[in-house]
Amino acid sequence: MTASLMNSDRTYDVIVVGGGHAGSEAAAAAARIGARTLLITPDLARVGQMSCNPAIGGIAKGVVAREVDALGGIMGRATDAARIQFRMLNRSKGPAVWSPRAQCDRELYPIGVRKGLDEVPGLHLCEDMVTGLLMEEGRAAGVRAGAGEFRARAVVVTAGTFLRGRIHIGGDASVGAGRVGEAPSIELAEELEARGLEIARFKTGTPPRIDGRSVDFTRTERQDGDPLDFRFSSYVRENIPAQRPCWITWTGAGLREVVERNLHRSALFGGEISGRGPRYCPSIEDKIIRFPDAPRHQVFLEPEGLETTELYVNGLSTSLPADVQVEFLHTIPGLEHVEVTRVGYAIEYDYFPPHQLRHTLEVRAFPGLYFAGQINGTTGYEEAAGQGLMAGANAALRVLGRAPFVLERDEAYIGVLIDDLITKGTDEPYRLFTSRAEFRLLLRQDNTSRRLGPRAREIGLLTEMQSEALGTLEEREARVRRWFVETMIQPADVNPLLQECGSSAIRQSVRASQLLKRPEVPASGLANAGGAKFHPATDADALAAVEIEIKYEGYVRREAERAKNLRKQAEFELPQELPYEELLSLSFEAREKLARVRPSSLAQAGRIPGVSPADLQSLILEVRRWRRNPPMTAAAKK
Amino acid sequence: MTDEPSSRLPELAVDTIAALATAPGLSAIALVRMSGPEAFRVLRALTPDQDDPAPRTAALRSITKGEGGDLLDRALVTAFPRPDSYTGEDMVEISCHGGWLVPRLILDACLAMGARLAEPGEFTRRAVLHGKMDLVQAEAVLDLIEGRSKAQHDAALFQVERGLSRRIAELREQLVTVEAYLAHHIDFPEEDEGPVTVDRVVDAAAGLREALEQLLETAPEGELLREGAVTVLAGPPNSGKSSLYNALLGEERAIVTDVPGTTRDALESVISIGGFPFRLVDTAGLRDSDDRVEELGIEVARRYLDRADLVLFCVESPGDLGSAEREFLAGLADVPTILLRTKVDLAPGDRASEDPQDGDRASLANVREIVDVSVVDGTGLGRLQAILPELVYGGLVRTGASVPALTRARQSEAVRKARDQVVAFMEALDEETPVAVASALLRPAETALEELLGVISTDEILDRVFREFCIGK
Repeated sequence: MTASLMNSDRTYDVIVVGGGHAGSEAAAAAARIGARTLLITPDLARVGQMSCNPAIGGIAKGVVAREVDALGGIMGRATDAARIQFRMLNRSKGPAVWSPRAQCDRELYPIGVRKGLDEVPGLHLCEDMVTGLLMEEGRAAGVRAGAGEFRARAVVVTAGTFLRGRIHIGGDASVGAGRVGEAPSIELAEELEARGLEIARFKTGTPPRIDGRSVDFTRTERQDGDPLDFRFSSYVRENIPAQRPCWITWTGAGLREVVERNLHRSALFGGEISGRGPRYCPSIEDKIIRFPDAPRHQVFLEPEGLETTELYVNGLSTSLPADVQVEFLHTIPGLEHVEVTRVGYAIEYDYFPPHQLRHTLEVRAFPGLYFAGQINGTTGYEEAAGQGLMAGANAALRVLGRAPFVLERDEAYIGVLIDDLITKGTDEPYRLFTSRAEFRLLLRQDNTSRRLGPRAREIGLLTEMQSEALGTLEEREARVRRWFVETMIQPADVNPLLQECGSSAIRQSVRASQLLKRPEVPASGLANAGGAKFHPATDADALAAVEIEIKYEGYVRREAERAKNLRKQAEFELPQELPYEELLSLSFEAREKLARVRPSSLAQAGRIPGVSPADLQSLILEVRRWRRNPPMTAAAKK
Repeated sequence: MTDEPSSRLPELAVDTIAALATAPGLSAIALVRMSGPEAFRVLRALTPDQDDPAPRTAALRSITKGEGGDLLDRALVTAFPRPDSYTGEDMVEISCHGGWLVPRLILDACLAMGARLAEPGEFTRRAVLHGKMDLVQAEAVLDLIEGRSKAQHDAALFQVERGLSRRIAELREQLVTVEAYLAHHIDFPEEDEGPVTVDRVVDAAAGLREALEQLLETAPEGELLREGAVTVLAGPPNSGKSSLYNALLGEERAIVTDVPGTTRDALESVISIGGFPFRLVDTAGLRDSDDRVEELGIEVARRYLDRADLVLFCVESPGDLGSAEREFLAGLADVPTILLRTKVDLAPGDRASEDPQDGDRASLANVREIVDVSVVDGTGLGRLQAILPELVYGGLVRTGASVPALTRARQSEAVRKARDQVVAFMEALDEETPVAVASALLRPAETALEELLGVISTDEILDRVFREFCIGK
């Protein structure tokens, strides 16, 4: 549904600025909850664009993609409909840390996103460049765009890398852009800065892309996907496209020599770029300098799509000039005669240090204004989508006068992500890892719909169809669970499996759940041996969940116990007006940090770097004292 | 997070404290000290028309009650500008004449000028709040002040100098390394160097467990250092306990302190033997009834033997051990005991070299040494004084003061918890629990060590991964 610019009624409940992964989810979530929503982006043809690597998922990020889906979002379905290579990472390390990852067709993915947007009633799209915000009495009141003003009671800004974006291809060429060929957003950045928001700069980069027809694949290693009938979406079964392999090759001494000789021409090392980049996604210049002893680095050649021969050269992100990129590519086995279709580049952009936000992603200083995605200092489509969904939902809930929607750290990686941003901030583009979560065993990819589906249904994020699908899933999972608890398995049926797993044989019938407690015995094998009729694809999540929760019951219980304790701390609210500067029994560092972050609960205070357990103890006493007599305390110490 | 200019940081409120740092009473000099943002202003008010002293340099000043006030004393003042002071704040030390009056008058003048009387321990507490020392160091400051033996002094000083803190920080580092390997194993399965192997994780965890065990082994002796090993003199009446008590005390009279109020019926003194503290308990006067066994077994055992670290059981030489004595000794279970044959100066011949009969062995299982003593001619006292430290503090005697030792229950509890978690982690791996699952056991270990130091936890695990491995496609 596209808004007519001739429409005299330009008033909405929620306006979303930007149509990337954050913007799309924000707009769809706001509209699903029931807010009249407008999404404005400079180029509607580029909604849901994959600016960098055409892949969704990976460690922790794959779980986020599934969480977005479980909350009724678009990302999971769009990925299923576009995935041309699928792998379940960490398969050998137990289902607790399985991470789905999909290579996507760069053309199909945005089509899926657009389809997801178009299906949502009450969501309007508009192509325009937003140049400013309308503010009334310190609250967001709409946006100013090329075609005039649009009014709304909440505005979600998802500007990505477009805020004063600047692209560097080598040390000499730099140009203002949000992506190659797309204009940056300068006025909006300037206005937000002028309104007093703290602003900072990050950098990131992309590698070159090449023509697959010029690659000698015989000199590379083929990497096929896992032949699994896996879906990111719990609710919708999209048709999966044909599958393509990736290819692996390695850099060597030749590339090192070329990079070292041309280092002075790199924008990253020539001093043109001031912003900080992500350590987990270093440029090839970084890798060569920081790890001088590493003889080689892996290079993944990833297909950009079904209908194109273009390949994405993952691992060679760079800001060296185009001629150097060609030269170093030619040193790599298989790429000796490769033709470059698009050169790699580095991009610098503004972001707003996220301690300025609330857990709803609302800007503290300006009620009704929300930020989501790279503007908050994150990287990654999944991180952006998760924030977008939460910001859009909260914008809508605010306008509709309903309670905010916040996910805790034991509920979702999205909760970890947002709490990390607000509580700890980030000094490099933030991406999720499982190591960032305290409750890794609870936050799995197999239980996203069970974790988040019911809450999504409750606040109206699920369509009727998704709600029904959730109901079916819940039934199926209960059935699988019941089977393991109730079924007695006969020795003759299961002993061959036990022998195969190196597990001791049984003499009389044993309950399936009892056998499942043996670390070496897999759930799927038991189900087969016991004659259960489970569907390998649709019951895969339930099987994985039951396996973990029965096999590692003690661990899961302990983690849940810890989560419960943390919840208690989370229930200890800290008054927003608490005068941290005057709380003499806290360490100086803690007082500074607490005054800056202004945590909402004791649990959040405890996660702020610089706040020690002893400070928390003191804080409890100070809060109690303050509650007894707030104005006196403040006045007496002046 | 970006660096904010410090001007944007909030003003942190803090007041200025003052206290008498030396014990009140007759003495040649005394020390009044102040800490806080107003300390220098208060000093100026007390020394009107005189120059500010140069930082960290003692200067003679006339101290008055303030502008136009009476002269209180001529004293040495030293100013320590922050942050290079004990508390990390501006500090002033005034070394004045001692006695009941002068220090009190100067302190009152400080308070009148705006300082507040410090609470006990508040100077050290501020040092912790400013990050000048961690909790282990702060506790050790107290131990250093209260120390009554050379060994305790050595251990306290070692802790004040961060010796133990460094060791615990190293252990935490090792733990973070294990967690970094795990993080790499789980979060970065497709990197250049390939996944970190489980063996590497196990090796690192085994090294950590070993180190934690070693530190933990120092705890029993280390904790005795602070209170002194409870050493109970027991035995039949008239067996020479009190004489021995006095003899042992007399040797060290100069540094013996009576500990009041801790016991009611027995005499108890802390005494330093060979530099190690012993809490010597004389149970004389407890057993005047006819039923000696009951007196021995019930009264004494109930009160002291439960917490005895060592028993000195006295029997008169050459008297044989009676059945009551044997029963008593057997009932001591595993409390190390020294059998003292007293009054050897009265005994004929050289019974000293005779050992109990083989048949006696069972009831003497916990008797570690047999020593013949005489307080009259000093026989055996030297030997006893050599044996005592070795028997109770053997580990510390051998390692000396340069090795970190745990001296508080708080410390050993934290290290024990960390050790238990690491052991559980390794057992889980042994049972082929996936590392991703077993890793849940390590966080509590890290928390335990962090709480011990009172330091701040940060996202060090990922930092370590990025430092040590080349990450990223």
